[in-house]
Amino acid sequence: MRLSLRELAVAYRAPAGGSLPALGPISFDVAAQEFVCVVGPSGCGKSTLIRVLAGLAPASTGAALCDGELIEGPMPRIAVMFQDANLMPWRTVLDNIALPLEIAGMARAARYKIVRKLLPQLHLERFEQAYPAELSGGMAQRVALGRAIVQNPRVWLLDEPFGALDALTRERLSLELLRLRQRYTQTIIMVTHDISEAVFLADRVIVLSRRPGQLVADISVGLPRPRSSDMLYQRDFLQLTKRVRASIEELGN
Amino acid sequence: MLRFFRRIAFAALLIAFAVAAQVDLQDERILLTFIPNVQFAPFYVGIEGGYFADVGFNVSLEHLQEPEVLDLVAVGQAKFGIVSGEQVILARARGRDVVYVFEWFQQYPVGLAYDDSRDLSELEDLRGLAIGIPGRFGASYSGLTTLLQSAGLSEDDVDLREIGFNAPEVFCLGAVDAAIVYVNNEPLQMQNLASNGDCGDVAEIDVIAVAAHVDLVSNGLIVNRALLEGDPDEVARMVRGFAQALQAVIDNPAAAYLASLKHVDSLRADDSLLRVLQAAASQQQEFAASHPGRDAIALSRRQLARELAEQFGKELLTQMQVLLNTIELWDAENLGYSDLESWDAMRDTLAAMGFLDDAAVHLPEAFTNIFIPGPVE
Amino acid sequence: MRKSPTVLTHNHDTEPWVRFSLLLRRLSPILAVICLLLLWAWISERELISHILVPPPGDVYRAFVGALADGVLAKHAFVTLQEMLYGLLLGVGIGLAVGYAIAKLPLLEYILAPIIVGFQSTPIVAYAPLLVIWFGSGPASKVVTTAVIVFFPTLVNTIVGIRGVSPKLRDLMRSLKAGRWRTFRHLEAPSALPVILAGLKTSTTLAVIGAVVGEFVSQGSGLGYLVTAARNLYDTPLVIVAVLTMTTISLCLYGLVALVEWRFLVWQRRSNI
Repeated sequence: MRLSLRELAVAYRAPAGGSLPALGPISFDVAAQEFVCVVGPSGCGKSTLIRVLAGLAPASTGAALCDGELIEGPMPRIAVMFQDANLMPWRTVLDNIALPLEIAGMARAARYKIVRKLLPQLHLERFEQAYPAELSGGMAQRVALGRAIVQNPRVWLLDEPFGALDALTRERLSLELLRLRQRYTQTIIMVTHDISEAVFLADRVIVLSRRPGQLVADISVGLPRPRSSDMLYQRDFLQLTKRVRASIEELGN
Repeated sequence: MLRFFRRIAFAALLIAFAVAAQVDLQDERILLTFIPNVQFAPFYVGIEGGYFADVGFNVSLEHLQEPEVLDLVAVGQAKFGIVSGEQVILARARGRDVVYVFEWFQQYPVGLAYDDSRDLSELEDLRGLAIGIPGRFGASYSGLTTLLQSAGLSEDDVDLREIGFNAPEVFCLGAVDAAIVYVNNEPLQMQNLASNGDCGDVAEIDVIAVAAHVDLVSNGLIVNRALLEGDPDEVARMVRGFAQALQAVIDNPAAAYLASLKHVDSLRADDSLLRVLQAAASQQQEFAASHPGRDAIALSRRQLARELAEQFGKELLTQMQVLLNTIELWDAENLGYSDLESWDAMRDTLAAMGFLDDAAVHLPEAFTNIFIPGPVE
Repeated sequence: MRKSPTVLTHNHDTEPWVRFSLLLRRLSPILAVICLLLLWAWISERELISHILVPPPGDVYRAFVGALADGVLAKHAFVTLQEMLYGLLLGVGIGLAVGYAIAKLPLLEYILAPIIVGFQSTPIVAYAPLLVIWFGSGPASKVVTTAVIVFFPTLVNTIVGIRGVSPKLRDLMRSLKAGRWRTFRHLEAPSALPVILAGLKTSTTLAVIGAVVGEFVSQGSGLGYLVTAARNLYDTPLVIVAVLTMTTISLCLYGLVALVEWRFLVWQRRSNI
C-alpha cells in the first residue's frame, strides 16, 4: 500500500484561544513496501503525523491518502504501535495479541489458532498465559508488535516503538522487526529519535524541522538488505548517520 | 482601703455560702422516654417550681428508649426512671430487680380511635376491622391485646397493620378503619384533621379507652432494689417532690404549660396566649390556695379549656389541650398508688401476647406503695 | 501454570522457626478474635460489668441455639438478607447505569453534582422515616433504604473506574474500529472492574445498615426488628445474637465479592507478585 501526504498540516486549539500549529504543511510519498523512518527534534509533530495516518486525529488542512483513498478514520489495513506497549493488563499475552481478531468478531478457537502460530516468531510461545505486568519491556513490546501483525495489515505505523527500551534490547528488537518485515513485506512508517536506528532500519529517512514540523531532508539509505548488526560499524552506515545528524543539527540555528 | 478589702472579703464569703447552698442540692438525673413534650410537664414544674429543690435534688432530664431507661436504672447508672408497668414485669422476668414506687399515669393512656359514625357500641364489633398499630411492641400492643381479650377476640379476628407512629395520617388516608392511639394526643390531631375536612368522610372522632374496660398498670417511677433498701429516704424524697409537682400541674395547668415552654422547643405560644395563660395561672393560684376539692379543680380546668377555645385557634391550643387531656389520666384521689389487680391484668395481657414464658414473676415484689404520701389503706 | 520469571524461590522459609512465625502471622487475625472472646468471657465471669449490660458468652450461645432451633433467627435473617440482596441489585444497578452515563457525559455530572453530593452527605438515618412513609412499612421501604445507601459507592466508583480508562487504550480500540458495545465490553468494563468491585465491597457492608435502619424505623420482621423485639423483652443475649448475625451476613457478602474479585482479577494478583 502506498501512502501520500499532500500539504498536510495539523494545528491544535490553544488553551488561550487561537490555534497552535503542530505539523506541516508537509508533502511526501511512501511507496508500497517501503520502510520510512521519520526523525526530528522532540516536539516536531512526529507523533501527530502517526496519529493522522492512523486516522486517530484529523488533518487541519491538506490530506493524507492511502492508495489514493482519503484517510478519515481508522482503516483496517493500517496497524499502529506506540512507544508504550499499551497492552490490556487484564488480558494474557494470548488474548492481547488476539484482541483485533476478537473485535473483528472471530471465534475463540480460530483466533487462538492464528495467534499460536504467530507466537514462536515473537519468541513468546512460553508466555502465552502470562499477564503484561509479568513481562519485561522488550517482551511487552513484542506482544504489541504481535497485536499489530495479527491484523494482517498492509501498513505498520510505529511510533517510537523501542523508545523505552535499553540499548541491547532495542537492537535485538530492531533485527526482529526486519526479520518480520521480510516475512510480511509491509509498508512501514516508523517515528524514532534514534538516528542510527533510523538509518539501520529504513529505506529512506525523513527529517522534520522544529514545530511545526516540516520536511527538511529526505535521505535515501542505499544499504543492502538483509541488514546485520556488523553494518553498524561500516563506513557507509556511519556516513549516512552523519548526514542525517547534520541535517538535524542545521535546524539548531 | 482596709474597709474596702473587708467589704470584698465579706462579699466573697456571701458568694461562697450561696454556692455552698447550691452544692447542698444533690445532682440527680431522671431518665424519661420519648422526647421533650408537654406530657412531661410534672418534671418541668418540679424543676421550675422548686419542688425537686425542696426535697434536695437538682434534677436533670434525659430521654431514652424504654428498655435503656430500665437497664440503666437496674444497674444503678441512674437512680430514677420513668417506664410503663409492663416493662417492669418483662424486665423482672429477665433478672432486672427494679421496683415501681409511684404510679404516675392512673389510667392506661392507650385507646382505639375510630370514625364516630361507625357503630362500635360493643367491643365484639371490632371483629374484621383493619386496625393500625405502631408495631407489635410496647404499650400500644399491650393495650390492643387487652381490648381484644375483653372482647373475647384474638389478633386473628382483626386485620392488624403495623403503621409506625403515623396514626392520624394513615387513618385519614383511609388505609385503616381504626387506629391504636394515645388517648390524650392523637385523637386530638385526628379531630383537627377531620374538622378541617382533611380526613376523608370522617367528621367526628371517637375513642374507646382501654382504661374504660380494664385497669392496667401504666407509667410510673422506678428505682432499683439496692437503692430502695440502701437509701429509702432518698427514694421517699424523690417521690414526695414528684408527687407535689404532679399535684401542682393538676391544680394549675396554665402555669404548667408556661413552665414547659422552657423545656419543650416545639411548644407554641404567641404573646396574646402567653398573657392569657399568665393571667389564668395567677388567678388559679389564688383559687387553689383556698383548698377547693378535687372536683372543683377539675371543673376549673374545663372552664379554662372553654375560655381558651373561645379566644384561640385549635392549632395553637393543641399542646395545651394535650396537657389538659393528659391531666385527666393523672388525676386521682390518691396520687401514685397502684394496686395489685392492675399488675395482674397487665401480666395476663403480656402472657397472652406470648411475651412471658411463665407467670413466675412475683408481682408484689414489682411495686410498692410505701412511699405514697397520701393515706394508704 | 507457568512460573513468573521474576519470582525467585527462596528456601530459607523451610527453617522451622521461620515457618512457625509465618504460621503465627497467618493466624494472628483469628487469635485476635479469640482474645476478644476471652476478654468478654473474663469480664462477665468476674462480673466487672453487670450481666444485664454484658451477658456472658454462654448465655449468648444458648440464645443462639434457641433462636436457631425455633427458626426465629433463620426467619428474620432471611428477611434481612432478602431486603439486602434486592436493595443491592437495585442500588448497584442504578449506580452502575447512572455512573456510566455521568462518566460519559460531563454535562450530566455538572447538572447532577449538587443533588448527588447533597444526598450523599445526608445521613440515611435522618431520612429513613420519610422513605418508610413514602414506600410503606413493608419490605419495599427497606429495599429502597438499602438501594439508596449502596447507590453512592457504586456511582462514585463507576465514574472513577470509567474515567480512569487509559486514553491510549481508547485510541487502540478506535484504531481497531471497535464500536461502542465492543469498547465497553473489551475495554471499559474490564478496566473499571477492579474499582467497581472495590465499591461493591463497600456497598455490601453498607447494605446491612440500610436494611436494618429501615427495619428499625418500621417494625415487622428482619434482624433489625429482632433487635428491637429482643430489647423490649430485655433479652440482651438475643440482641447480641441478632447483631452478630448481621455481622455474619455482611461478612459473607463481602467474602462473596472478594471471591468474585479473586476469580476475575487474577491479573491483578499476579501483577502484585
